[in-house]
Amino acid sequence: MNDVSVDSETRRIRIRMFGGFRQFRSESELAVELEAAPTVADLRAQVARAFRDDDNALSLLKASAFATDTRVLDDDEAVPLDADLALLPPVCGG
Amino acid sequence: MSKLIHVETTNRPLDAAAALEFCSSPGHGAVDLFIGRVRDFNQGKSVLGVSYDLHETLCRNVFRELAEETAKQWGSEIRLWLCHRHGRLDVGDASVIAAASSRHRDEAFRACRQLVEEMKHRAPIWKQEHYTDGDSEWVQGHALCSHG
Repeated sequence: MNDVSVDSETRRIRIRMFGGFRQFRSESELAVELEAAPTVADLRAQVARAFRDDDNALSLLKASAFATDTRVLDDDEAVPLDADLALLPPVCGG
Repeated sequence: MSKLIHVETTNRPLDAAAALEFCSSPGHGAVDLFIGRVRDFNQGKSVLGVSYDLHETLCRNVFRELAEETAKQWGSEIRLWLCHRHGRLDVGDASVIAAASSRHRDEAFRACRQLVEEMKHRAPIWKQEHYTDGDSEWVQGHALCSHG
């Protein structure tokens, strides 16, 4: 669960990465710090900073969604801090 | 979960006989079975195998949602099976099995196809193809996001 507070104003958010994102990092998780009451758009911007030196990762991020274990999140909603978060590139099952 | 719906993700070989056994009822005169398999050629490249990655918890939730939508559309008595494999698969291995049974063939055909098409567009599954030239590549897919 993402409930680790760095201080009262900042939270560290862990995000599981899947599919094509696995080629950009050796770890399967990415951690970013966010101010209080962040939206998914804020989260996206912070993840973009983490990938700022990699144009391929940034391009993939633009086409990707954030999700909990139960649903895909919209960019304008609040980040659910009590849920596990994942970064999902475009899907292609089958 | 409804006893008429079975959804699953697994790293073990898929079992078509189990899908057919589940999609069976004395009142059902039709069963449609779809098996997706790894093929040896894609986008001009010779393929050795495919590694499937998936978000297990979300994937099972999405599968259940797809199956419930399908049952709602094609009849509450319909029986549905959807199972996807993950991990490294070789050419010819089954990656996904979908099945639907119903009173008549039309609902079974349509429901099975709906399950497969929706799964490809909405389920959090990714594949990395491995080629005979030693290269590997993540396959492009369908975006889940709605932002601009």
